[in-house]
Amino acid sequence: MTVLLQQILDGLTAGVLYAAIALSLVLVYRTSKLVNFAQGELATFGAFLTWQFHDWGLPLSVALPASVAVSFVAGALMERTLIRPLLESSNHLGLFIVCLGVLVTLLQVEAWIWGYQVKEMPNVAEGPPIALGPTMISRQNVVIIAACVLIAVALWFLFQRTRFGLAMRAASDNTPSANLLGLPVTATLTFSWGIAAVIGTLMASLVAPNQFLQPGMLLPVLLYSVAAATLGGLDSPVGAIVGGLVVGVVENLAGTYVPGIGQDFKQAVAFAIIMIVLLARPQGLFGSRTVVRV
Amino acid sequence: MNRILRAVHKPRPSLELPAWLSLTTGVIVLGCLLYAPLISAPYANTQRALVCVYAVVGLGLHLLTGMTGQISLGHGFFFALGAYVSAVLAGTAGWPYLLAIPVAAAVGWGVGFVFGLPALRLSPLSLSVVTLALALITPSLIKRFDDVTHGARGIALDIAAPPAWTGLDRDQWVFYICLAVTTLTGVMCRLLSRGRTGRAMRGLRDNEAVATTMGIRPSTTKSFVFATSTALAAVAGVLYTYVTQFVAADAFHLTLAIAFLTMVVVGGLGSLPGVILGAIFVVYMPSWTAEINESASGLMYGVALVAFMFLMPYGVAGLLRAVGGPLLQRREQRAGQQE
Repeated sequence: MTVLLQQILDGLTAGVLYAAIALSLVLVYRTSKLVNFAQGELATFGAFLTWQFHDWGLPLSVALPASVAVSFVAGALMERTLIRPLLESSNHLGLFIVCLGVLVTLLQVEAWIWGYQVKEMPNVAEGPPIALGPTMISRQNVVIIAACVLIAVALWFLFQRTRFGLAMRAASDNTPSANLLGLPVTATLTFSWGIAAVIGTLMASLVAPNQFLQPGMLLPVLLYSVAAATLGGLDSPVGAIVGGLVVGVVENLAGTYVPGIGQDFKQAVAFAIIMIVLLARPQGLFGSRTVVRV
Repeated sequence: MNRILRAVHKPRPSLELPAWLSLTTGVIVLGCLLYAPLISAPYANTQRALVCVYAVVGLGLHLLTGMTGQISLGHGFFFALGAYVSAVLAGTAGWPYLLAIPVAAAVGWGVGFVFGLPALRLSPLSLSVVTLALALITPSLIKRFDDVTHGARGIALDIAAPPAWTGLDRDQWVFYICLAVTTLTGVMCRLLSRGRTGRAMRGLRDNEAVATTMGIRPSTTKSFVFATSTALAAVAGVLYTYVTQFVAADAFHLTLAIAFLTMVVVGGLGSLPGVILGAIFVVYMPSWTAEINESASGLMYGVALVAFMFLMPYGVAGLLRAVGGPLLQRREQRAGQQE
């Protein structure tokens, strides 16, 4: 029983990371209607920046905000320079190829600058693990969960309680009408990409001590996050969080209890989730259904 | 500069070279390809054979992406499938190595068809997600079936020895096999992309709704094209084992899928000769950049993907068309004036 509870808790902790990356995928999808496959690698790059700032002697409390700020600019710039021109000519094949190109470029730039040697990233919270009933959770994981909750609350506030958030929702809901109303549609696009990059960098920097910081650190996570976003519905932030937690728990339990899957083969679970959801319910659990008129 | 960019950005029909020109070029190129291996170093022949291996995959992707407009990143999986069919049958079980080619083609076709049945009903976006997921799990799939594939340790092979009567070395013999398969595949793709099937494919790419009302069944045509392209990827996997004589799980990472995509993008989507140019780029570029840094070749793939989408969306073939088209036109005009 304790093992089961511990596995579920571990799954939830892993799921928080999937949820966060899925959330950035959803933010981008809502505004630009594309799945940014480079999202995970952007986050890894941000984690490398945090490590680099820390290595230059800055305390983590300065290094983390600094790299978060840099990644906001980087995400916004990527949207402005690489995505916008192709989006305007609605070249979907081109967008897909450019996202993959950015993924590979970032991966190799990381390898070029920092090499494949795993970098030692300090924990934000040190100390012995905390006991939760019969289960244990490390202090760093508590921080990670707290950060994810914070992100979710901040996004909820942004979308539901601010004028700019309202404009963002309008722009993703009905772009032509939003344009006609004089809403800053292009600004919301750029802002979404920046926020997505910020979420990635923040979470990647926090999980880097556990995940072994090296190029391609979040490639496996990208798979789970795509599964999470698909399960929750690609245009639903709530769905991304629920999907991430479900995928984390299912993947962890399947790896432990289903014979023949094991720890290495858990990725196949994510693949199966993607395939089943897309076939049985393409809009996911919380996504909005698209109807095409021919 | 802007004029050049505009010229390259326009979609153009493929060049209709005069018959004598394409015939002489064909004969000269084939002659060079047949003669060159006899006088070059084994390393050069191995690289040329690799160009053929990539070209076979590229021809399949040409049918799928260029002609039918479906995206797939999952062809690395089918490439690995073919490689392991060859390694297990010809290597471990000791079958004649050439037999691996038809077996791999059949297995690749069957698995591709079964995979494509559900996958091709998805929207293009979902298909790209599913095939990316397939590419990401391929290494762990191989490691899962460790007892057959020997996972990361891999299988060392000793196959494709040249028959004694030819007096050739292995690298020369392997190159000739690869060249023969590539030529056959090229001819097959050429025939497929003309005629009824070719028109059906292009119809689906350009406007699925219109194609459907013309009596084309999207699911049948797409499944057929997908299965054909995966069969070609599997055949290329077999050729790959002839060239490298070794297979291991780590050769089939996402990088391989990216290399395939880079090949099609650099060569030019929807152009058959472009595939060969793309294959040459993908094989030779790493050996040029290896001196700078070991990450440089991967970086070049990424930069090429982005740069080509912006500067030359129709690839090198598009550039050749933009340059060659007006030249051919002028020639025809002159011929018209003389009459």
